Amino acid sequence: MTLRNAVSALIVPALLMCAAPASAGNTLIAKGQAVAVAKSALTILPDREWNKMGARPGRNSETWTLDGDGLNDVTFYGGIETDRTLFREVSKRVKPLPRFSATMLLTDIPALLENSYRIALATPLMTIESVAPCAFVGAKGVTFTYSFTRPNEDVRRKGEGYAAIIAGKLYMATFEAPDIYYYDRDIAGFRALVASARIGAPPQS
Amino acid sequence: MRHTLSAAMAVLCLLASSTAFAQEKSGNKPGFTLRPGSTRILLIRPTIKVGAQSTGGMFEPNADWTQQARDNLGAALDAAQQQLGNQVIVAQEPIGPAAATFAGYRALFSVLADSVIEYQFFPGNRLPTKKRKGAFEWTMGPGVAEIAKGTGCDYALFIFDEDQYGSTGRKFLQVFAAMAYVQVKSGEHRGYAGLVDLHSGDLVWLNADQAMGGDVRTVEGAQKRVRQLLENFPGSTPPAAQIATASGQ
Repeated sequence: MTLRNAVSALIVPALLMCAAPASAGNTLIAKGQAVAVAKSALTILPDREWNKMGARPGRNSETWTLDGDGLNDVTFYGGIETDRTLFREVSKRVKPLPRFSATMLLTDIPALLENSYRIALATPLMTIESVAPCAFVGAKGVTFTYSFTRPNEDVRRKGEGYAAIIAGKLYMATFEAPDIYYYDRDIAGFRALVASARIGAPPQS
Repeated sequence: MRHTLSAAMAVLCLLASSTAFAQEKSGNKPGFTLRPGSTRILLIRPTIKVGAQSTGGMFEPNADWTQQARDNLGAALDAAQQQLGNQVIVAQEPIGPAAATFAGYRALFSVLADSVIEYQFFPGNRLPTKKRKGAFEWTMGPGVAEIAKGTGCDYALFIFDEDQYGSTGRKFLQVFAAMAYVQVKSGEHRGYAGLVDLHSGDLVWLNADQAMGGDVRTVEGAQKRVRQLLENFPGSTPPAAQIATASGQ
């Protein structure tokens, strides 16, 4: 094996592992048309246009945005199974992400998200601020609020989430945006998406 | 065979990280113009971060370099204000709760500019709702007026500058990666200048470049950087030297 071949064999896979997920392929989510999200039975009926990001945070999740995920980020988690993580592992051996379990209580879900964010975003500045019972996708669920700051950024972000465990799988929707202007402007749009969420046959407008 | 595979993988790597190679771009809100001498512009203290880029690509701030850049860019901006075409007022640093509001908007500007670059300027990752012809709809919200209370200004000029100089380890990685036909950047030099309408909060002009020139740790480099940042600033007038050169030709 020549030196160049050896370098190719070692460095290229390493760089590929470091590379961010491919980000092309953002698509339009049309107003008034129900869509199945996150490769699952979870369906949403949007009351306005959204953009679906081409890059998925994990196998059973997808992100919608109005102006980019740094300004408004709605993420749907569709049927996360036992022993699965919320996001792709960032470093499975050194910093493994916590895994969902069907035996978790609903009140454990906000902590699962908090611990996943602390690892995936490498930030200690993630806090769950409130947790309360609610109905989500027609089932008993939990709603929670949180705040966090990404490393190397000074913008404080606020978030809100809704989650339910149905047939042993986790269904969840979260919204986060900078606490200046964007959170207050777009939270009502997120709550409208959550109110339209169903499991199974999509609702029609 | 392996060479072919390496080349294919390298292309994939380049495609995956292509956002890092966005070209200099600027954008205007449709219909926005600024006549010289028609308004007052509030210059917000620039956000300046200077440091090294580690082998793994992490930013490592350097206080000495940052201070040099602050001094040099500050002096270059003072000189450049004469050519902006309108009266420029330098914002006073507030104290107390107002300082947090001020810092919040400065931070929001960099995130907003990142979004414009990533999701409007860069064609490969454009959002469908931002693709529409003539669309340039970006805002910081009307609350931004709070930072200019009592100044009588109609617009705020935000400037963000981040320079990461490649460490020795990063440069080595760049060389080794090149041997595998993979392009790795050593150093990053991002600069954004944006004009915000203080009445609506809308971003009316943005000049953003993720590969700026000029070493901001030197006087000449900082002058070059400021010229790039304020290139085509709405209502700006070219420096007297340039006018003389042009008329002499």
